[in-house]
Order: sequence, then C-alpha cells, then structure tokens
Amino acid sequence: MTQKILIVDDEPRYLRLMEANLQVEGYQVIQAFNGQQAVELVGLERPDLVMLDVMMPVLDGFQALERIRGFSSIPVIIVSAKGQEQDRVRGLDLGADDYILKPFSATELMARVRAVLRRAQSPVSPSGQSIFRHGDLRVDFARAEVFRDDKIIYLSATEYRVLLQLVQAVGRVVPSDVLLKDVWGEEYTEDKEILWVSISRLRQKLEDDPRNPVHIVTKSGVGYIMPGLEE
Amino acid sequence: MADEFHFPKFNGPVALNTQEQEVLFAINQATAEEPDIEKALDRVSHLVRKVLVFDNIVVYVHQDNSIEPVYARIIGRGKASPAELAWGEALANDVVTQGVSRLIQERLENWEDNRLNLRYILGAPLKSPDGVNGAVIFGRFGGPDFTQSQIQLAEFIVVQVNQLLIRQRLVQRVAALEAERQLRTLQENFIATVSHELKSPLGFIKGYTTTLLRRDTQWDEETQREFLTIIDEETERLQGLIDNLLDSSRLQSGALKINYELVHLDELLRNIVNRTVGLHKNLDIRLFSDGPCEIYGDPTRITQVVENLISNALKYAGGSPVFLTMKKIADGPLDQSGVEVTVQDHGPGISEEFAARVFDRFYRVPSLNNRIQGTGLGLFICRELIQAHGGQITLESLPGQGTTFRIALPVDGRRKRSDGDDSKNTDS
Repeated sequence: MTQKILIVDDEPRYLRLMEANLQVEGYQVIQAFNGQQAVELVGLERPDLVMLDVMMPVLDGFQALERIRGFSSIPVIIVSAKGQEQDRVRGLDLGADDYILKPFSATELMARVRAVLRRAQSPVSPSGQSIFRHGDLRVDFARAEVFRDDKIIYLSATEYRVLLQLVQAVGRVVPSDVLLKDVWGEEYTEDKEILWVSISRLRQKLEDDPRNPVHIVTKSGVGYIMPGLEE
Repeated sequence: MADEFHFPKFNGPVALNTQEQEVLFAINQATAEEPDIEKALDRVSHLVRKVLVFDNIVVYVHQDNSIEPVYARIIGRGKASPAELAWGEALANDVVTQGVSRLIQERLENWEDNRLNLRYILGAPLKSPDGVNGAVIFGRFGGPDFTQSQIQLAEFIVVQVNQLLIRQRLVQRVAALEAERQLRTLQENFIATVSHELKSPLGFIKGYTTTLLRRDTQWDEETQREFLTIIDEETERLQGLIDNLLDSSRLQSGALKINYELVHLDELLRNIVNRTVGLHKNLDIRLFSDGPCEIYGDPTRITQVVENLISNALKYAGGSPVFLTMKKIADGPLDQSGVEVTVQDHGPGISEEFAARVFDRFYRVPSLNNRIQGTGLGLFICRELIQAHGGQITLESLPGQGTTFRIALPVDGRRKRSDGDDSKNTDS
C-alpha cells in the first residue's frame, strides 16, 4: 500500500526538493504552505507522516504540531533551520517524532523518513495478550490504543513504542541505549535527549503525578522500568 | 603691568536682600526648567547680572587632563574687542587644581586710560563628589573689585551651574547608552537574519546537490536541469549576500574605493532597465530620461545602487510599475551642476516613522512583510556609495501611494566644494 506523506513548508523550493525525493521512493506526496493548511490536511487526508517546517506564516510549525497532537498521533518530523537545543527540545516536547536540521542531505532525509515510518508501524503485541493493565492504565494491543481510567490517551507513534518496550519488560529495567536502539534505530543510541523528552511526555499523559511516577520509573544511570504490580 | 592676588576669606553665610533672593530663586527655576544647556546658561547669566555685575563669563570643563571652555559670553563691556579680553584660562587652571575660589586683579599698560586693561577676574570651582570638574570665570573690567558677599553669591550660582552640567552629562550618557543598546539590538537581529539568509540558499544547494548525487536514483534530463538551475540561482543569491556583507564592512572601515571614470549615465540606466526586463518579464518598468548625460563616477557602483533600489521596489512593492527618471539639475550637491536619478514604485509605501531609519546599517522596517528576505544592508550600502561620490540619496514616501528614492550626483564627485561659506565663526 502506498504511504502518503504530507510536506509542509512556505518555501516552494523545499517542497519541490522533498517531493522529488519522496516520489522517487514511491511515496504519495501532498503539500501545505503553512501550519494552518497542515492541520486541516492531517484531518482530511489522514497521511502516514507529516514533515513540518517551523518558520511559516499564519501558523508556525510548533503551533501546528500542538494542534495536530490534540487529535492525532500521526508521526511528525520537524524539518527546520532552527537548530538551537531549545528549538529541538521544544519540537520533541510538543510530540515530534524526529527533528531534522536544514541544510540536510537528501540521503539522510530519506533514511529518517524510513526510520520514522518503520517505528510507526503497529508493533506486534506481546505474546498471548490483547489487553495489558497497570494500575489505572490499560493498553489495547489490537487497536494500539492506550486508556487511563477508561479515557483514551493520544500517544504519538514513538511514545506508543516506548511504552510497549516497557510493558513487554514489565518488572525489568530497560537500559536507555536499548530503548533508543529498539525504538528509534541504531543511529540514535547516543541521542539521550530525544528519549528524555519522550519519557517526560509519556509521564505527563499517563501519571497522576509526573514527578512521582508509578508507571514509568527512572533507574538512575541505567534506564527505565515499569514496576511489576502485585495484585 | 602688575598682578595682585587676593585670596577671598569667608566669614559664614551672607544675608541676602530681597532682590538677590528673587534672582536666586529664578536661577534655580531656570536650571530646573530649561533642557537645553546653552539656553539655560544664557538665562542664568542674564539673571545673575541683576545682582552681580560682570562683563564676561566663561565656563571651563575639565576634560582629558586639560580644561576646555564650553560656554562663553560677553554681557557688558568689551564686546568690540572680544579677542583681546581676559578669558581667565590660567586662573581657571589654578581653581581646578586647588579646588577653591580665587580672585585676581590685572593691570595692563594704560590701565588708567583703558578700563578694559584693569581686570578683576573671579574664578569659582565646579565641584562634584568625585572631584573638581571645572571652573566658572567672571570677568569685570575697570572695577570695582568683587566684594566678599559677591564672591559668595557667585559661588552659590556656580553650584547651580554645576547642577546643570552634571545633569547634561547624565542626559548625554543616557543617550549614548540608549544608542549603544539600539545598535546592539540591531546587531543581534542582524546576526540572526544573516545566519538565516546564508543558510537558506545553502540549504537548497546542499539539498538539491545531494538529491542529484543519490546513488539509488536516476533523474531524467529535464529534472536534472531543473535542479541544477535552482543550485545555480541559489549560488548567485549567496554570492550577492556575501558581496553585500563585504561591501558593508569595507564601507565601514573606509577601505572601499570609488574608481572614477566617464559614465554615460543615460546609457547605463537603459542597460539596467533592459537587464531588469530580461529577468522579470511581467514587470512594468519605464525610463524617463533627459537625453545624453555624462558624469564622472564609478559605473559599477552606480549600477549597484540603482539595481538595489529597483530590486527593493520589486520586493516591497511587488508588481506595481517602477518609474526610473534621470534629469540634469543646475544646483546639484557639492555646489556643482549635477544629475538627479529617481526610482519610484507604487507599492504600499513606508510610514514616516520608519522612513527616517531605512538608510541605517542593519535597520529593517519591522513587520512590513516577514516573508521578504533582507539583511538591512542594501540601503546602507546605497547611501554610503552615493555619499562617496559626493552625492545625496533621500526618500519620499506616502503610505498607500508608493516610495520614491531620489539620488543627486554631482557632475564630478572628485571636485571638492570650494572653501568659504561653510566655516562658521562662533565668536563673531
């Protein structure tokens, strides 16, 4: 099945650049020129991936991402010339799955697209179970949905995969580099900040008190654990 | 010739009469009200004269290890021969060094016949918490000598003058800091803009080059040409930006040279218009010219300025007709005949508030259109290049109706203005 990618940029030359590279790989490409159009197209066209510029008129990329995350967990890659650490963290914090800096090489861009799409594919559910419970938390593997007190929680594709890794290892520590490698890919094992941001976002969504988490607990210097709960 | 020195002795405060009290009150008010230091000092000296007769007054301020007169007036005798009068510089030096008031009497030749040669000069220090800042000199010609109570009155007045000077220094310092702050903000914005402006073409060059270099893909010839054209254009853009940065820094350091030669200005403008039409097929650009016109100037630089103005018209008044005119003027800059070139667009215009600053280095009209790229260097470079030719560039703009840039160039910018009427005689 052809995957559909929405590219968003106010510079026609960036749109053309991404379009050419994506089409030649067999992706279907749709375009938006600002954040407002992007939000609308995500709702209407249900693409498989959004590539989002930041500095745009009407609605910038960060604002657009914030709105998209209000109703969708579609994978989003931010593609921006804003490369300060605070910009990167802000993008990831708002729920971006990856952050690519302009100028980029076409090969690198394609590799990132493939990696994000790979992560987004529904992972296989842990053997034998279709529902997993952890306190007020419920994960429906078949539908890839997460509930807290029976209320659905929107997770990005990446966040869902991080959660699944912890669920599958419940009661055991998952080291940070393993999480990075399994969720993001080999080339990300050193990229700690992307993991911190994802963990922090997951806690915001899943924990009653994100500072004293019960579902995702930090094992300092090692990694993270979802503690085994005694019934 | 004889000099006599009196060191004033004070015996506590002197009782003031009603007139003196009124004058002191008025002086106090004048120093508090008048923002302009020179006007304030004029008011003060006239008020002082009602209670303390003197013929001239000089304010010296200590600067860089010497004292400099910052204010001087002749109010009474001696207006006919100001240069021969005593202005008390030596006394002021003594007062500054010693930090106390001093009074001297000078008797020059013929002092019995010429009152101007009998001089009583009173100097009082301008004191501040960090030392003596200068001195105020009161000169009186032909006597009588200053009395002790007059000296004390003078000292009180000098305190008022000192307040004025201190306030002026503070105002200047605040203004200097504010200017520095504004420049720093402009520079910070400039760095952000420049890095964006540099990265933007670089991003396309990198992106399209690596696209063409992809090993896993063969691009058809048409697509290859499309990508290479983009790379070429973006390289040009980068080149233009780098040229601007270099020009701007050369202009700033005075290292940019104008290579004068005979320029056929009408032809030069026609060529610019033809080139512009070639690049922008749909642009309505018209040239109105007086006919053949020769000046001495740097053709490359004049072209650069006119093209920059046209490109601004395209950027900020997109699509509106651009009129380029050239006419000879009898009364050009540098007091020579000259030529006026205007570039007029019919776009949104610039409001007066911003128009005054568009030639400033790094300045960009805020929020005009965020999408329009620029560094705030173009018009700065234009102005500097025109001024280097001995010319002037101005702008007229009516919001909603468009903007006109007006360049006046002398026939020969190498010929300097003849000396004479531009020297101002300050003590005439």
